[in-house]
Amino acid sequence: MIKFICATVVASVISATAFADVTINGFASINAGATTDSNDRLYGYDNNIELKNESLFAIQLQSDLGDKLSVTGQLLGRGADDFDVDFEWAFLSYELNDQTRISAGRLRTPFFKYSDFLDVGYAYDWIRPPQSVYGLGFANIEGVSVYRTGQLGDLDSSLQFVLGNYDSETEFSGTEIEAQIDSIVGATWELSSGALSGRVAYLVGETSFATAPVQLAPGVTLGGLFGTLEQFGLSALVSDLAIQEDDSSFLGFGLTYDSADWIIVSEFTNIKVDNSFIAEQDSYYLSVGRRFGSLTPYVSYEKDDNAAQTDAYAGYQSTLPAQLFAPVKALVDSQEADNDTWNVGFRYDFHPSAAFKAQFTDQDNQLTGDRRSLISVGIDLVF
Amino acid sequence: MLNRILLLICLTVAWPAYADIAVIVHPSNAAAIDIDELNRLYTGRSSALTAVNLAEGMPIRSEFDEKGAGRASAQLKAYWSKLVFTGKGTPPAEISSEAAMLEHVAANADAIGYVDAANVNGSVKVVMTLE
Repeated sequence: MIKFICATVVASVISATAFADVTINGFASINAGATTDSNDRLYGYDNNIELKNESLFAIQLQSDLGDKLSVTGQLLGRGADDFDVDFEWAFLSYELNDQTRISAGRLRTPFFKYSDFLDVGYAYDWIRPPQSVYGLGFANIEGVSVYRTGQLGDLDSSLQFVLGNYDSETEFSGTEIEAQIDSIVGATWELSSGALSGRVAYLVGETSFATAPVQLAPGVTLGGLFGTLEQFGLSALVSDLAIQEDDSSFLGFGLTYDSADWIIVSEFTNIKVDNSFIAEQDSYYLSVGRRFGSLTPYVSYEKDDNAAQTDAYAGYQSTLPAQLFAPVKALVDSQEADNDTWNVGFRYDFHPSAAFKAQFTDQDNQLTGDRRSLISVGIDLVF
Repeated sequence: MLNRILLLICLTVAWPAYADIAVIVHPSNAAAIDIDELNRLYTGRSSALTAVNLAEGMPIRSEFDEKGAGRASAQLKAYWSKLVFTGKGTPPAEISSEAAMLEHVAANADAIGYVDAANVNGSVKVVMTLE
């Protein structure tokens, strides 16, 4: 919090003195939620009402430095991180011309339709974007982006190219590990005409996860398992499992119908990390909302379908001792997932700058038969 | 019965008669603007002219949001928050009175704005009337 106050003070001092033209905008979300059953956990919530998990505050500073150069910084504190404030983004932009802008610095990775304003709850109707698709992580990269808008006949077109890398922590099976995605190259293209818009995104990179500390079972780490396999001369198997400079790809499609009355959104994504124990992930969602003045009820369906890479161990069944084959198979198979999720909720614009939202989520794990439900409510503001 | 008739008359008269909105530009501006281009200008998809808005909460602002910019006020605000927080755009500047709007448009060759059609004067040119 102190950091947050300091940042605010610094921001106001900067705006008052150094630069003439600083725009300050802010947004905040205060969300509360709880699962309906005492043993269930979903999206960081348990059975006790929790206000911190998905709440956040942010201020964004944009300073026009003249000559088409501007600098943008977004300071964001998440309740989940005790409201420690961090630069979510910080980049320089140069307007090459009316249609083209080049940005460099810490940028949002343009995986999804809502990537750019994931944190700005006010910008969408849900409490949270569908997590089956959006729960990927790696939201920001350090790099360069070229953004070009234009018109193709009657269509509005926006094209973005991005180059960069990701180097930070990620959570894997409950353990914080170092993750790196190098040489990220990607492009997104969005075309819209009236209420209808379509989007495609394709990104590739080289992924490395330091998975050694991840626990497979009490006392058994992934590093330990790989070490043992190496001792048995199975380095080929280790390299087929380990996430080490592995070619990775992300493909996303989106289709939106956004008229005065209806808001229908759908996205499909496919994620692959070659030569690793990571499952191939297919996810999609469809959300249908209807606007009645300031009230927008919606219903959405999400699917998360991860196919375990059983090819990685298939050839070793007969050759590998059972006590080694079993953990290898368990590791690969554990990546399988098949979840169906339904959401119903509404957004109510009760104030020109604030919206109240409520959402009920029901997730059905098709592999285990587990079912869990979450009720969340929240207020989103922009200022 | 008379009371009822009176009530009916009162209601009819007091009903917020939607004002016609005049979309105005500088007198020297010869550009032809249709409703699609007006939508584009007020949603940041065209920068052919510099759009200015009346301040939020002013009577004809929300009417203009719907008729001129093509979206309800809340929807438009959500739309702009997407652009603002990605550094991709800034909403049109806001002006706090119709008199100031007329002055601004009369003084800036590339400005486009709007006022209640009843308040238009000779200092600006009307390119479209939204009914």
